Amino acid sequence: MLEFLFPLGLAAFFLAVVVPLVGSKIGAGKVTRQASLIATIVACGAILAFALEIVFSNQSFSLFVYQITPQFQFSFLVDRLAAFFLTLIAVVSLAVAIYSISYVEHTEHEERKNLIVSFMNIFIVSMVLVVASFSMFSFLFFWEIMALSSFLLVMSEFEKKETQKAGIFYFVMTHLSTLFLLFAFLFIYTVTGTFDMGQIRAEPLITSVAFVFLFLGFGIKAGIIPFHKWLPYAHPASPSNISALMSGVMIKVAVYGLIRFLLLLPMQTWWGILILAAGTTSAVLGVIYALKEHDIKRLLAYHSIENIGIILIGVGLYVIFSLAGFEAIAFLALAGALFHTLNHAIFKSLLFMTSGSIVNATGTRNIEEMGGLIKRMPKTALLFLIGAVSISALPPFNGFVSELMIFQAFFQSTVLANPFLEVILISSLAVFALTSALAAACFVKAFGITFLALPRSEEAKEAKESPKLMIIGPAILAAMCVALGVLSLQLFSVLGFSFPLPNMLFIGALLSGFYVFTFAALREVASRRERIAETWGCGFPTQTSKMEYTASGFSEPIVTILKSIFRTQKKSERNYYDDKGVIFKDGKAEIHLMNFFEERLYMPVANIVRKVSLKVNNLQRGDVDLHVAYAFATIVVFLLIIWWFA
Amino acid sequence: MIIAPVENVAQILIVLILATAAVIIMKRDIRSLIKTYAFQSLLLAVMALLLFSATGSLTLLYLAIIIIVSKVLIIPRFMGIVAKRLNIKRDVKFHFLSPTTSLLASIVIILFVYLSFSSLLSELNRFNSSIFFLGATVGMSIVFMGMIVIFTRKQTITNIVGYLTMENGVVLFSLFLTELPLLIEVLIIVDLIMLTLIATILAFGIDSTIEEFHNRLNPFISPPKETPQKQSEDDEQ
Repeated sequence: MLEFLFPLGLAAFFLAVVVPLVGSKIGAGKVTRQASLIATIVACGAILAFALEIVFSNQSFSLFVYQITPQFQFSFLVDRLAAFFLTLIAVVSLAVAIYSISYVEHTEHEERKNLIVSFMNIFIVSMVLVVASFSMFSFLFFWEIMALSSFLLVMSEFEKKETQKAGIFYFVMTHLSTLFLLFAFLFIYTVTGTFDMGQIRAEPLITSVAFVFLFLGFGIKAGIIPFHKWLPYAHPASPSNISALMSGVMIKVAVYGLIRFLLLLPMQTWWGILILAAGTTSAVLGVIYALKEHDIKRLLAYHSIENIGIILIGVGLYVIFSLAGFEAIAFLALAGALFHTLNHAIFKSLLFMTSGSIVNATGTRNIEEMGGLIKRMPKTALLFLIGAVSISALPPFNGFVSELMIFQAFFQSTVLANPFLEVILISSLAVFALTSALAAACFVKAFGITFLALPRSEEAKEAKESPKLMIIGPAILAAMCVALGVLSLQLFSVLGFSFPLPNMLFIGALLSGFYVFTFAALREVASRRERIAETWGCGFPTQTSKMEYTASGFSEPIVTILKSIFRTQKKSERNYYDDKGVIFKDGKAEIHLMNFFEERLYMPVANIVRKVSLKVNNLQRGDVDLHVAYAFATIVVFLLIIWWFA
Repeated sequence: MIIAPVENVAQILIVLILATAAVIIMKRDIRSLIKTYAFQSLLLAVMALLLFSATGSLTLLYLAIIIIVSKVLIIPRFMGIVAKRLNIKRDVKFHFLSPTTSLLASIVIILFVYLSFSSLLSELNRFNSSIFFLGATVGMSIVFMGMIVIFTRKQTITNIVGYLTMENGVVLFSLFLTELPLLIEVLIIVDLIMLTLIATILAFGIDSTIEEFHNRLNPFISPPKETPQKQSEDDEQ
């Protein structure tokens, strides 16, 4: 069965890649796009069945495909960890494929729609194969295909200035990631003489170097701070189905890589501390940056950074506890991290897809110009609400369970004998708790400003509910958000794990019973008399949507409290009629938030690289004779080296 | 094993080939450059025949025939026609090095090649006879001298003579060290460069330097004046 499902999935993906390309040539665009996305759904179904079979039966599946030379081979091995990530990829891709059937039709150019569908399939299949890879060579190969196909997808609206900037950021960062991985793999290869992942054995010092490279490589791709900058640029620029895949799945592939290699290499405690510190920083700064964003997709992108931080916190705890000898707690932390990875993939893709529907309906990404959408797009609003509640980690949804698992692991940090570690763990616990609270606040803002009150622009007033398929896709994920939360304990026991978790089914029933009771009681008790009155509008005679609570207003207190992090600069200019400064004429006030990492880290590095490149560029004049002279000089230098050393 | 008289003749030939390379570096007159190149190729063919008589390897005979047909007859004749049509008699412009300094530089290069080969190739244990060593050293040196010709001369036609000399050097080197597959590749690549250059000259008419030719070939490098005009035309449409 397994031997059949995996190739079936790959074959369906192949069809899904080729068909739209052929279709755009023969002029049958729409039919081939739909056929291709149906093939994607079939492929995802096959991969999902394949992965679930392995996850539940705890077996492994290996496949040897092709070798270029004995060292460079494409071989695959799917064990329980890989299968878990395959499940995640398949579930999210399935929902995104359904969503995309309607969504791509909103793209402007006919040929571009086909290209987006085709590249999206290349992107999905490359992620599947990265996770399934057994040799480091094929891992890196498909990793690079993943990077390139996602870059092309980000650039799908390449005429826009904003997209070009995002594209360059993404391209450079993603290649830095590949570069570091290449360093790590070559380093491991020179030490062990093999690209097989199963055979990594080496000295602690050597594996530490390899770990640092791996951490940088995967960290850049996962978007941990300070390597996060590509996320808030790339996500708003790309189509929403692609953002859903990139944020939901691609950065999880980086998490997979990190966990996979952590399990292979002999771990050290400082790795755990490094991962924990990076995770905590990303979590808290991610949510703080998210709070000030009014671009809905950029807000979600910052939340991805936050959630990757939470996942890394779990991974860091795993390393620390397992080296201290507390296997059970370590496993709880790792399971929490993995479960949060799945949950985040589900609710973040859900949020990106619904926000894509909103952006399509209103034509803007700025939540200040939305408002009142709950009346106009009730189904999308409900789906977004489920996603928002899940990401804010409220019971009984899935986000709550996985964050609870990580908290549980944190609470047991008193077992550690080392006071230094204990202090680190407790301080990062405090920051983590702050993160959760801020995330909830941020989604109150995101949901409230977007969906409630009156529309604040003509476009928002005219917004229409999305087509059916753009509801069904996210709805699958929303259902999973609820199911994974409520049935988490049962699910873990089927998989053969037992964690100190509350029975969410019971809690869910209790909570919903409570809600139903309260609602019924209020309905019974409340008076039926209608009372029509106007909200107090600060004394203005008529109330318009201008008087609503804005997103800036909502986040202002937090921005003020955290102004040392935002580096807020308030500038004001005043002009007066008289020279004493009494009678006010006019003035101008501006609030600037500094892009700290961009201005202090990225641009200086970029400027240095630019300067060096310009110097190097001077060498290249397009003069053939000069280039021959360079070659000549190089060979002479080599001759000298040979003479000197031989 | 090569017997003594053959070795002596081979030594004389090698030195003569080196001398022709030196002449190619020094000469300014294009027709005599081409003649020198033909003579160098002829010496190379004689060398291949000599080695064929000593070892009996048929490959060497074929090589000699190919050299005579292509490099002694066809290419020099062809180059002569091109030179006539170009109406260029002498090379007057030089890059980086003047002919005299190039010659001095090539002497230094020969020394370096000799030193590095003596430390590197002695371990290969092939040089039971000094003739192999001499041949390999001179071959490699001629490759470098050809390169010097390429980057010091401005005229395309003399550049081509430089490429051809380089290729002769590679052939000489491989005559004495035949078992290096990489060298055959190098030979093919050099041949390709040479062929493309000749072909482009034939296809696109004749320009005296590659830079001019490049400007004409590449439509994107247009004078800066033209671009704004084109844009305004587009706007009107």
